[in-house]
Amino acid sequence: MRASGFPFLVPMLALSVAFFALPLALLVAYSFAGETGPSLENYAKFLGDPFNFRVLLNTARLGLETVLGTTLLGIPIALLFWHSGQRVRQAIIFLTLIPMLTSNVVRTFAWIVILGRQGPISESLMALGLTGGPISLMFTELGLVLAMTQIDLPLIILPLVAILSRLPRNLTEAAEVSGAGPWRVFVTVLLPLMLPALLAGWILVYASTSASFVTQAVIGGARNVYVPQLIYREVGTLFDWPLASAIAVVLLFTTGILLLVLSMLSRHRRLVGHG
Amino acid sequence: MVHDMTTMKLTRRQFGFLAAGAAAAGLLPIPARAANGSMVAATFPGNWEDAYRRVLTPLVSQAGFDLTIAPALAQDQLAKVMASPGSPAYDTLLMSPGQMAIALENDLIQKIDTSRLANWSKLDPAFQGEYGPTVTVEVNGIAYNPNLVPAPKGYADLFENPAFAGKVSWTGFGSNTAVMAYTQLASIYGSGPDDMEAVFKLFADHPENLAGVVDSTNSQMSLYQQGEIAVFMCSTGNVAKLKSLGLNAEFVHPETGSPAAPVNIHLTKGSANLDAAYAYMDAAISMAAQEQLTLPPTEMFPTNMDVALTPGIEAFVTRDTIPSLVYPDWAMINKNRADWIRAFDALVAG
Repeated sequence: MRASGFPFLVPMLALSVAFFALPLALLVAYSFAGETGPSLENYAKFLGDPFNFRVLLNTARLGLETVLGTTLLGIPIALLFWHSGQRVRQAIIFLTLIPMLTSNVVRTFAWIVILGRQGPISESLMALGLTGGPISLMFTELGLVLAMTQIDLPLIILPLVAILSRLPRNLTEAAEVSGAGPWRVFVTVLLPLMLPALLAGWILVYASTSASFVTQAVIGGARNVYVPQLIYREVGTLFDWPLASAIAVVLLFTTGILLLVLSMLSRHRRLVGHG
Repeated sequence: MVHDMTTMKLTRRQFGFLAAGAAAAGLLPIPARAANGSMVAATFPGNWEDAYRRVLTPLVSQAGFDLTIAPALAQDQLAKVMASPGSPAYDTLLMSPGQMAIALENDLIQKIDTSRLANWSKLDPAFQGEYGPTVTVEVNGIAYNPNLVPAPKGYADLFENPAFAGKVSWTGFGSNTAVMAYTQLASIYGSGPDDMEAVFKLFADHPENLAGVVDSTNSQMSLYQQGEIAVFMCSTGNVAKLKSLGLNAEFVHPETGSPAAPVNIHLTKGSANLDAAYAYMDAAISMAAQEQLTLPPTEMFPTNMDVALTPGIEAFVTRDTIPSLVYPDWAMINKNRADWIRAFDALVAG
């Protein structure tokens, strides 16, 4: 970077320091506030309770399950985009972006209807004779993963589409001429090219899901407890802000580790197809 | 190939249209600001928020102030004011005695000057608090769907009658409605209203009641609409709202008595516009406002003595029966609430 370019970075750096680094430092400092001075008591209190440890694991599992769900749905949609003409491509982009323009709260409440006893999933299963009576997926982890998958799907489709839209459609012909079947073409040619977009999407989906307080609270109910609900409880109901800060730091740390691993993978030359 | 942002072209004509559009937007009528400034009043989300915005905003506007109704649960109001005590997020708070005790303990609210409220003398003396007027008394009980379950007799019936198995929804101890019901259950199954171990044991022995535990009464209202739950702990206002939506819902007074919670407006310490805050409080206890609030979908019990009770309200409570309702010991509840919340959350999560 040329030294003369630095002044242009100053506004961005100032904003980052004022609205990200300083609040984060404050949060970390607050997490060490004890009754008699700085201490690790909030961390000990949080990590010493097996219930909280289970909540941490549940949050990580929810993030990973949603990453899996969005990947399984996102890749076929992105490939359909790649193979389609202009009109279908526009329709896919439109349908991907439209849900993002509605509030997350509205989408979450729409899922109450879909997952409920009188919703389309229950009705369909009954019509197919797969269940004897109405079933509800509300307050279940499966229901929550389904809702989160739909809500976060654009976060994985958009990076995939951005990469695929730059790839010529005859790219796979060489492999096909050499006798490779569609699955082999996908695994050996397309998947490595899509991997940087997938990794970016996974990071976004995981971070979004693990922090999605409203959807977790409404669809998951009180039986499925995740870290954001614990933080809300400590801040808004019990007013124990140092403990809430410690929980937030733990969530940041555990999510950060996962994101670090993913971003390291995204720079791995062989893995992303530059080896 | 799709267009990306780097290849997007904007012709001179298109730019001209955009500029003209932006200029035209500036000509749109913007609501006039009141001459005497504005204030932010916290109310509970949902029915309260809709009603106060609809009824009180015009009245406060007539007094020359802009009123912003900000929805927040009482605990959230406290959290936000505690976060910024010198410059509070709200000029007034709306809460029950339980949260009021916390607000006092943390020096968040101030005594009011009753001479600034023209309607003060219209209030029943029981509702003239030194820290602000009581605007209604929420009467609590049990809401049920007559299409799906029989009328429950009381809280114990919900655990002992198999007709309710798997159809009842509860919330955690963060909700005032829930905590009032749990203190009643503690009196029924334990040694007194503070014997919450008996309630936890009751839930552990009836795990079907744990499946329907959700985060708030508002969520329960949505779930009730969708037929997901048939019974939940509620106020008469919740049932009035469900009925106004065309749903089949009934209210039951528990056989052990209906818990009740006065709802008060408090003046926040550091309020930026005291004149507006007093105008708002005065409007909230005025006959003009309370008459409208006695009607569906709110059907709030009026604390202004000049306002007549509607048949809908008298079906639940009268001015004579108000003192005989069950008023919980909020000091005891506040002392134990944190432990109860943590213990119940862990029990629910299994």
